[in-house]
Parts: sequence; C-alpha cells; structure tokens
Amino acid sequence: MRQFLAILNDSFRLLRARTLFWISLGVSAFAAIIYLSIGFDEKGITLVFGLIDFEMEFAKKGSKGAELLYYGVFSNAIVGIWLTWIATILALISCAPVFPEFMEEGSAGVALSKPVSRPLLFIYKFIGGLLFMAIQVTLFVVIVFFAIKLRLGVWNPSVFWSVPIVLLVFSYLYAVMVWLGIKTRSVMASVLLTLLFWIGSFVVLFAESVTYQSTLTGRGFLGTTLNEEGIEDYRKMNEMFKLPYAILPKTSETSGLLDRLLVLGDGDALGKATIEAMGRNGMVGDRDSEVIKDDLDRHSPLYVIGTSLLFEAVVLLLAMRSFCQRDF
Amino acid sequence: MSEAAIEIEHLQKHYGRFEALAGVSLRVPKGSVFGLLGPNGAGKSTLVKSLLTIVRPTECRGTMLGQKIGHRPTLGKVGYLPEHARFPEYLTGRQIIAYSAGLAKVPSALAKERAKRLLELVGMTEWADRKNGTYSKGMRQRVGLAQALVNEPEIVFLDEPTDGVDPGGRIEIRKIIERMRDEGRTVFVNSHLLGEVEQVADQVAIMARGKIVREGAVEELTRKEHRYEVRTLGPVPLEMKSELESKGMNVAGDTVSLVADDANGVQPLIDALRKEGAAIREIKEVRSSLEEIFMESVERQEKEVA
Repeated sequence: MRQFLAILNDSFRLLRARTLFWISLGVSAFAAIIYLSIGFDEKGITLVFGLIDFEMEFAKKGSKGAELLYYGVFSNAIVGIWLTWIATILALISCAPVFPEFMEEGSAGVALSKPVSRPLLFIYKFIGGLLFMAIQVTLFVVIVFFAIKLRLGVWNPSVFWSVPIVLLVFSYLYAVMVWLGIKTRSVMASVLLTLLFWIGSFVVLFAESVTYQSTLTGRGFLGTTLNEEGIEDYRKMNEMFKLPYAILPKTSETSGLLDRLLVLGDGDALGKATIEAMGRNGMVGDRDSEVIKDDLDRHSPLYVIGTSLLFEAVVLLLAMRSFCQRDF
Repeated sequence: MSEAAIEIEHLQKHYGRFEALAGVSLRVPKGSVFGLLGPNGAGKSTLVKSLLTIVRPTECRGTMLGQKIGHRPTLGKVGYLPEHARFPEYLTGRQIIAYSAGLAKVPSALAKERAKRLLELVGMTEWADRKNGTYSKGMRQRVGLAQALVNEPEIVFLDEPTDGVDPGGRIEIRKIIERMRDEGRTVFVNSHLLGEVEQVADQVAIMARGKIVREGAVEELTRKEHRYEVRTLGPVPLEMKSELESKGMNVAGDTVSLVADDANGVQPLIDALRKEGAAIREIKEVRSSLEEIFMESVERQEKEVA
C-alpha cells in the first residue's frame, strides 16, 4: 500500500507539473460552467445565466422536453464529445511520456531496485496514469451534479456514472498507448499509433453498426432503398465486421452506455426517453424509432464493457510482459 | 574469513552474442568498502544492475545478505545510486527522498525525519524544497545519494558516485562513505576514478571485458607489486648497467629500480654497487599505485583476448 501511494503521489505531482493538465482542467471547468449557465424559463431555453433566451415550445421550464434537453446536452455534447474525444486526446498526450520517461537510463533503476515486483510496479504506474482523467471527469461531474439541481430541481446521482464510463474509455486507449510506449520507447510514436488505432477501431465499429442498421431498415449507407440482394450484401458485410467488432474496445458504445444509465426524474433511462419523445414529436418514424431502440439495446452493458476490458487486459498483459522482460 | 555481504558464484549476462559478464565470481565482505574498478564498458554497471534485478542475468548463482540474488524482500535492505541518475524534474529534493522511501516501504513519518537528516548529511538542506530541474549535476548526485540511504540499507551500491561532483563535494562523498563503513554498512562503489577508490576502499576488484581480472585488499594488491629504488651519487657505472638489466633491474641515470619482496632482496645490489665504488645516496621502497596495477591488469586482459 505504501508503495502504491508513493507511485500515486508521484503520478499526481507529474500531472500538476504538466501545463496540458491545467489547460484541460480549465477547459473542463469552463465547459461545466457553460452547462451551468443553461437554464429554462416560461418561454423556453436561456443561455449565459439568462442573458440570452430562445423561445422553444417543447423546452419550457418544468417540462419533460427541458429535462431531456438538459440531460441530452450533458450526455451527448459534454460527455460524448468533450470528455470522450477532446479531453481523452489531451489526456493521452499528457500521459504518453509516463512509461517511456520512466524507462530511460538512470530513471527506472531506483524503482526497480526496491522491494516491489515488476508486475506490481507496472500496474501502479498504469493506475497512476488514469489519475489525469479521473480528476478531470470528477471535477466536471460534481459541477454538473449541482447544475442539475439548480436547473431541474433534482439531485440526480446517476450522472456520476459518467466518471467510470469516461475512465473506461480512456483506459482502453491508455492501455494500447502504454504497450506501444514500452515497445517503441518513443512518446511521439506511441501517441500517433494510439490515435491511429482509435480511428481504425472507430471506423470498424461504425461500419458494423451502419451495416447492421441497413439490414433492418432496408436503407443503404447513403439513404438509398435496398432490394433483397442489397440487404443480403449488407448482411454479408455485417458478418465480416462482427469478429473485429467483438474483439476491439468499444469506445463509442461504452460512452453511449450513459444514455442507458442516466436515469431521469420519472425513472426512465435518458436514451429510451429521448427516442420516445422524438417519436411522439414526429422527428423519427415508428420503424426508425424501433431500429434506434434495437441498436441501443442490442448489446448488454456487460458485453460492451466485458469484451472491451478483455481486449484491455490482453494488451496490458502484453505490455506487462515486455516491461518485465526488459533490461534497464 | 569475515562474513560476506555479497557472494557471487557465477554471474553471466549476454546481450545477444555480446557477453557483458563472462561468468563473474566475487566476494564482498560485510562492513567493508568495496571498489569495483574498470574501464568504461567493462561490465561494472551491468554487474550491479544484475544484483539489483534491474538487468536480468543470463545465469546467476550467489547470495546477497544471505539470500539468493534476486530475492525481492532483501532489496528492502539495499540502497542504490545509479550512474547518470535521472529523477523527475518536477520533484523537489525532499520529494525524491520521500518517493524512494515509499518504494522501500519506509513509514511516512520515519521517512520525513530521515529525509531531514539525510539532506543535512549531503549538504542539501537549503535547496531541499527546490525542484530537481533547477539543481546542478553535483546537487542531483547529492540528493541521489540521500535517497539511496533513506531505508538505512545494509548494502549501498554507488555507481560512479562522484560523477559531476566538484572537488569539495567529492571529499564530502568520501567522508559519507567512510561514515557508512563506520556504521557497519557495506558500500559497493563502482568507479573508473582509481585515485578516489584507492583512498576509501578496503577491497577492490578490477574488471575488464566482463571478467574480474584482479581482486583483493588494496593494501595487499599494492604490496604485491613492491619495488625498490636505489639512487647513487652520480650515474650508475656503465660497466654495471648491462649486468643489472640482465637481472631484470631497470637502470636510468642515477637510479636502479628492482622488484623485491622485502629489503633483503636489495642487499646484493647494494653490495655490487659498493664494490664498484658507487656511493649510495638513497634507498626507497616504492609501492605500485592502484592505477599502475589497474593499467597492467587491463592491458594484460586486452592482450589475452587479442
């Protein structure tokens, strides 16, 4: 425990020394305050603490629409874009030097000559790297928690699900980066290759989802209506993507779990309530609404997180093996 | 024979085809200052790193503090200052010591107290709370030495401890090493600075091309190379020169040098000189310096390999 705390403390000091950490934390706090500045009145939505207002029939104060909109902005814009994309990239860049720098001559020796095993040292350093994201998201969600009470009048602890969810997404990628960092000992190479991997897996997962939806809706990628043969082609393509889909870490789906875990005042999950509301307001047809619901629920959280964590565990084992077998 | 702190029976390390350690065996007595000497690339650091599990040896048999080499809990009784030690720039001297203490499982309160004492010992109290990034090379080395001592180790490995340290700092480090010996610790110093090791070490081993080529107490090694110099008033008579040289003596101007176990071995030369009427001005016992022994040992090893 003493050794773990020493490494955690060191990781925290490392973060504090990184300018990017403070920039990222500042932007996160700013985004949370922007979120806090969004409000609702009798006419619709207000921005910048009431300085600007827009008439919006469905989002009047106290309405279901206002609740959906407020949670939707949090889930899709702030968690979905800022935390799981931009803040994650900044965190990856910030944490990239952790292992390559640790492995430089004269640096690792002190730690490796202590009574701590290499696998444990590796795990402690990895957990230390997750601190960046943990601090960012926690600070952010605490502000959001108070914002929801202020704007919607309820304490909603389910927003705290976003902390483990964003951490999970980051940990999938960080594991890949650690492995590449140990293999290449290059900060730049590990960041670039991790981003390439992320983009590559995103494309594969997106393709799997699109081909799956096409087989259900009968509409192609560009909205063209498909005949039986076309649907069969999409089914074959979907089959082709299934294996990589099963293996790769599901970053988007993991962050999308928030829509299932974020519970509204009436007990409905955000995702389901949003689709129903869109259906009621004629924004999507019944069939599309069914397809979206089906896509949302087709993989259980256990499957999404379980397969992703399995991937992460395999990558971490490979990284740990390289770390443990290396001479410093 | 005194108890051994380190007893290496056989230590081998290969990097692919390159043999960094070619079956080293070594004994380091407990409570002594042991100097491992050798030119750059001789394998000194690899040997220390192998003992500390930083490098994974190809083959290793031996004990350290009575336990098999590589026994992790034993490393809690060991301190280490690496060559070219690189501590994070964002940490202060005090934090570096605390970090090392944490990894060695030293309780937090005790670590704080020791850090204060050690910073004083290495003369870094004034700069203790400044970032490592602002330190000079010598200051970093002092902090590195302090962190190596935070767990009150039984064995301290110092790899080129005076690297980058100014002359005043070197003297201080030497005093610290002597103090550690007085406290009963075993100090293992890796260095290529022979003069410094000679001043502080009880035992030395000379390493070249991954092998120990000479080993023993400093006193013993330098005694083994006893030389005597006899100086005459005026040059040595020419008629004697070739005769003396044929007996393995060296004649240069007014000085004849010869190797002898003790003063008895010099008597025949004195007699011969007196017989020839040469007045003897000075007889001097000359001990080989560690440097001469080192050079001779390394050169011999190089020749053998060639």
